[in-house]
Amino acid sequence: MPRRFLFAVLILAACRPDGRTAGRPAQRIVSLLPSFTEILFAIGAGDRIVGRTQWCDYPPAALAIPSVGDGMPPNIEAVAARKPDLVVLYNSGPNVTAAKQLERIGIHAVLLDLNRLEDLGPAARALGRLTGLEQRAESLATVLDSLPRQPPPTSRPSTTLAFIVWDNPPIIIGHGSYLDQLAAQAGARNVFGDIAAPSAQVSLETIVARDPQWIAVLADSAAPPAPPAFAKRREWRAVRAVRDGHFLLLPGSLFGRPGPRSGEAIRRLRALLAGNEMGAQHAAPLHEAPRR
Amino acid sequence: MSPLLQLSGVRYRYPGAERDALTDVSLSVAARQFHAVLGPNGSGKTTLVRIALGALTPFVGRADVDGRTASTWPRQELARLVGVVPQREDNLFPQRVRETVLLGRYPHLSLWGRERAEDHDAVDRALAACDAQHLADRWLWTLSGGEYQRVRVARALAQEPKLLVLDEPGMSLDLKHEMGLFELVLGLVETQGLGALMITHDLNLAARFADSLLLLDAGRPVAFGAPGDVLTQQTVETVFSWPVAMQTVDGRPQMIPLRQPKESRA
Amino acid sequence: MRWTLLVVVAVLALIAGVVLGPAAVPLSELLRSDIVWNLRAPRALLAFLVGGSLGVAGAGLQALVRNPLADPFLLGLSGGAGLGAVVAIALHLPGPWALPIAAFVGALAALGLVYRLGLIGGASLDPRILLLGGVAIGAFAAAITTAIVSLADAAELRNAFLWLWGGLSGASWDSVLLVALYAPIPLAVLLAASRPLDLLALGEESAGYLGADVEAVKRRVYLAASLLTAAAVAVSGVIGFVGLVVPHISRLVWGHRHRSLLPAAFVGGGALLAFADTLARTVVAPRELPVGVVTALIGVPVFALLLRRWTIA
Repeated sequence: MPRRFLFAVLILAACRPDGRTAGRPAQRIVSLLPSFTEILFAIGAGDRIVGRTQWCDYPPAALAIPSVGDGMPPNIEAVAARKPDLVVLYNSGPNVTAAKQLERIGIHAVLLDLNRLEDLGPAARALGRLTGLEQRAESLATVLDSLPRQPPPTSRPSTTLAFIVWDNPPIIIGHGSYLDQLAAQAGARNVFGDIAAPSAQVSLETIVARDPQWIAVLADSAAPPAPPAFAKRREWRAVRAVRDGHFLLLPGSLFGRPGPRSGEAIRRLRALLAGNEMGAQHAAPLHEAPRR
Repeated sequence: MSPLLQLSGVRYRYPGAERDALTDVSLSVAARQFHAVLGPNGSGKTTLVRIALGALTPFVGRADVDGRTASTWPRQELARLVGVVPQREDNLFPQRVRETVLLGRYPHLSLWGRERAEDHDAVDRALAACDAQHLADRWLWTLSGGEYQRVRVARALAQEPKLLVLDEPGMSLDLKHEMGLFELVLGLVETQGLGALMITHDLNLAARFADSLLLLDAGRPVAFGAPGDVLTQQTVETVFSWPVAMQTVDGRPQMIPLRQPKESRA
Repeated sequence: MRWTLLVVVAVLALIAGVVLGPAAVPLSELLRSDIVWNLRAPRALLAFLVGGSLGVAGAGLQALVRNPLADPFLLGLSGGAGLGAVVAIALHLPGPWALPIAAFVGALAALGLVYRLGLIGGASLDPRILLLGGVAIGAFAAAITTAIVSLADAAELRNAFLWLWGGLSGASWDSVLLVALYAPIPLAVLLAASRPLDLLALGEESAGYLGADVEAVKRRVYLAASLLTAAAVAVSGVIGFVGLVVPHISRLVWGHRHRSLLPAAFVGGGALLAFADTLARTVVAPRELPVGVVTALIGVPVFALLLRRWTIA
């Protein structure tokens, strides 16, 4: 009895814009962001997911759930066809509209922020409240909260890198993106950390001048490891890291978004960087391009 | 003297048209001759000019310029022989008079060559002949209708042609300027020995100035020859479907249109 | 005198492109700097070549369609290029040159379609239909492009639109060489058409009577202007306003004789784009603006001014 009372108090206390509950825990959830899918599985709500985006590929069990499209923008009818009692969406302009549309047809839609590592904990907690799995969510959230706060390894903060998202025109990742945080946590400095935006177009000569030791690119996990196509272009060879073949090919499914496995991403990145500090020859670790 | 321009038994129909634009039309223009082509609207006058200059090819008959089939003349060579003042000109960009008359020298210029002193001289002579030297540095848009028409004739003259072809040059000109234009053309024929072919609406002025007339009706030649022979009351009334009285001025027939009789007035 | 001034401006624009940039390269190291030789120099040269090509293509096109408000990108080429680029990305075509080649092929396909449309009235190329057809084909291609982007998987496709916005980031000595070998031919064709283009300003009929082979001139000018534009798009995306505004500014100073107008439009267009690219690289350093944005920001006020002058005249 006291437990149920506590439960009700917790629910009432948790009535905040991003965690509004509809009363009882959600049983049929459509998740419109891969990270939310992962979190739901991590807190044990995976069996309640009745719809996912086509991008939600982790854990493997998620693939068995019917897809409702690419989610950009969300296909309201496809979502509604799954008869959910909860839809979780990433908080963005188009999704705000989609959420309103869902509410209008009586489906409870919740928008959650997930831009930086700091947003992981709150997202996990919110999902915990929505599913009634607060305890498991809390333990996950505690781990996730610690991610951005871990002191980076003291060894070699001078390793520098740049994330290249697109080559023509060159688009890099700046301080506003969680990838910048991953780099910091892995003990590397993003040479474009002075740019506040999550991503920005820069001149090639700026990249050359800032001379990052590593070029990190998000790669398709299914493709064989190879340097990106732009590495062959003449103008890119002015960048030292391109000439030397210092590419970090980061699997998109792990590095492409903040999620429960961000800790693993940080560890992997740290290992990749450390592995190269040590050595002359590369043993061709899994996601790294051979030296040219 | 071989004719500068010769049409023999020409027949032409525009694609998709119900009737021929020209049927069995013949015409011959030599140097020092001033020919006028007359006829009501739609009688085929402009078509005749296009055929004569090789822009259209007749179905039947021939169109020759200086003895060669008109449509086989290379454009630039033809432009050195025949100067045309078409009905409409839609000058896109603002220009000065001298620049636009200079365009008349293009048929004489090679692909990469610059304008030479003789080209500028030709422009001056053309302007002088048209009594337009004083307009040389004016912008075209500041000219009156009559002045602009003179400039266009000057441009055709700058080509140093042997034959001058003018399509309705008197349209929208006031009395003074239209008279001036006809005097100008006749003067060029007489003093510079050009041949002239003019399409015009104005029967009276054509009769006063031209050596010979060709009267067309619905593409067919109705009469050809000296003005006195062509413009008889009977002929004019038939072709133009209007009652007229004829007078003679300077030995040339002049037509006076009559008002409709009381009963048939609306 | 004005030619000297124009050449000086052009040289200054090139120098600025080489000396200025987001990466601080001290003057003393200019000659040894890798950035200067491998990045800035080819980029400034490419900007010059592309800007010049667009200026000349614009002037030729305005004379051809007898419309002073024509821009090379009204021909539908940018739509075709964008479609080609997006298809290349969607199909994951290999190689660093896949995108420019695909864009060029797309532009040529659009060119062919518009040309075919322009002949629809018969053997004579109708410039009004060229304009309308260009707009229509361009819109059609853009619609298909958007459909592909929204349906296909690759998120990179959205970045393709950034490329289309125009940028000289891909400049290298390779691309400079390519354009330097390719452009002279259509440029020469346009220059050779200088006199006929002067005559065309009087109308097709008058031009014919003054000795121009009107049909041949129209074809040649259309194809040459389109080929120049297609190469420009393939190499640097859609850079607007250069082809529209530069011929007008040149006419203000040099008049309408294409013999001097076309070379002036080339040098002027080249200088403008080189200058705009330098601005794009330095104004928000370390970030970079798409150069199409800079030319629009410069071009629109200039265009408004010209419009005023035009309607007054």
